[in-house]
Amino acid sequence: MNPADARPEDTEEGAAAETPDLEDPRAVLSVLEADQIVAAKQRTRFGRRELSAGVRVLLWGMRVYVVIMLVLVVISAIRVIHGTR
Amino acid sequence: MKQRPINPSSSSARPTTEAAADSPLAQDLAALLTHEDADRARDRWKVNRARRIERRSRAAGKLRVLWLLVGPGVLVFLGENDAPSMLSYSATGARFGIGFFIPFVVLTFAMGLVVQEMTVRLGAVTHRGHAELIFDRFGKFWGFFSLGDLVLGNFLTLVTEFIGIRAGLGFFGIRPAVAVGAALLLVFAAMTTGRYWTWERITLGLAIFNGLFVPAALLAHPNWREVGHALITWTPLPHGNGFDILMLMLADIGATVTPWMIFFQQSAVVDKGMQPRDIAAGRVDTLLGALLATLFAIATILATAPLLHHGIDASQFQAAQFAEALEPWIGRAGASLFALGIFEAGIVAAIAISTSSAYAFGEVLRTGHSLNRPIRDAWPFYSTLLGSAAAAAGLVLIPRAPLEFIVLIVNVVAVLAMPPALAFLVLLVNDREVMGDEVNTFGQNVGAIGVTVLLIVAGVGFGVATVFPHWLKF
Repeated sequence: MNPADARPEDTEEGAAAETPDLEDPRAVLSVLEADQIVAAKQRTRFGRRELSAGVRVLLWGMRVYVVIMLVLVVISAIRVIHGTR
Repeated sequence: MKQRPINPSSSSARPTTEAAADSPLAQDLAALLTHEDADRARDRWKVNRARRIERRSRAAGKLRVLWLLVGPGVLVFLGENDAPSMLSYSATGARFGIGFFIPFVVLTFAMGLVVQEMTVRLGAVTHRGHAELIFDRFGKFWGFFSLGDLVLGNFLTLVTEFIGIRAGLGFFGIRPAVAVGAALLLVFAAMTTGRYWTWERITLGLAIFNGLFVPAALLAHPNWREVGHALITWTPLPHGNGFDILMLMLADIGATVTPWMIFFQQSAVVDKGMQPRDIAAGRVDTLLGALLATLFAIATILATAPLLHHGIDASQFQAAQFAEALEPWIGRAGASLFALGIFEAGIVAAIAISTSSAYAFGEVLRTGHSLNRPIRDAWPFYSTLLGSAAAAAGLVLIPRAPLEFIVLIVNVVAVLAMPPALAFLVLLVNDREVMGDEVNTFGQNVGAIGVTVLLIVAGVGFGVATVFPHWLKF
């Protein structure tokens, strides 16, 4: 493990405790990452990214693809059910 | 610990591995901790202790760490070995026997592995679900499109799970209303645990019964030389109506890569509390899930292969009919195992898929969305979970509901909805503002884009075959 990743419970004293007292906020904060706490996640968001022209074309292309394909699926299934294929 | 309302802040999230205790906001956060945080901390504490044991006793510690971190990957793959998937593998074995489709199924699971590995990294680094990230990074417009695909696919798939449950238990003479009602009760019981860990272990315990198809396959006495030959040479190639072969290929692809798997595994990784240093274990978990699911899928093909050798026309078979038709060759015990396997496939998938819908809704509505929350704290999340399952279960019991139509299209719809889902996934996992150093490598991008292209080619092939059906008659 990278030493930078070491946590308080990785120390001899921290690990000695059989079960942590999770009513103690320090015990909870010592094992979770800062952006893992529910309140922290509610406070911060990953903001909108700038969508380049290429990305917009890709996403629209995918959308058109799905709509066309869904129509074809319905046509195909109706043909199978009515035995017209 | 009670949750206090907090003021929304405009500050941006960023990938970090900083411990909450070391954060400048630690004091503030300490006052805002929830029951969900405490449960997640308990799970993390166990993982960290196991890591300490790992440093003293490598093998025992490694196994303990793996035991604690295994879950989302195995669940997602065994969940995707669901009722329509097992039906698809049964049809494959009954119509084409041992040949091309055995290695083809291995390939589809390899594709699934490439996709699901990315969700592990996304979840562990960002601690956010997939729907939440799409809404945050691409906005509501694209978010609702993505959510729409998920909701449509999930509902159709859930319906087919309950068809499988009804058919599987129907083999034992259990009435449809009783079978569907019992399954719904099981979904409810699993969600009321109030602990992600307990829910995960219960569902894993059920999922392992996907292995029932292995003894069913052994009772069919497959020719192992043929199996080995097929795996190496991809032969004999399937013969017959090209459109039917293409549909079966699409159904088998749809049995391994679907949008709900992306949303589910990422949210489960987050709910489990996995961190960037757990990514390696998450990969092992995902690989283990893929291997088990591949084994059980191949077992299903082998179990139904005798139908081909005995000239049984299985083209119109539904789940329970496969079990009934197999009875003369694999015995009552084998057929019962097969029917139970279909039931298990349906119930595990019903739990996983309804949970994936609930996670996505909770993330988008910004309400509590964790299995670590008690029902009273996250009732919209649990209502979505149970409501989606109940709606699908109810539809199955309505006389003359278009169930045949849904069964026919469900896996194909999954394949067709996959390229847009993969586009969002690949864009997110290459987004350095979100992923930091865990962005895709060149090789991972080659794999992910390769899978997307393959799915698009398969979809376009389906489209061409639908518009010009005579092209595939040979």
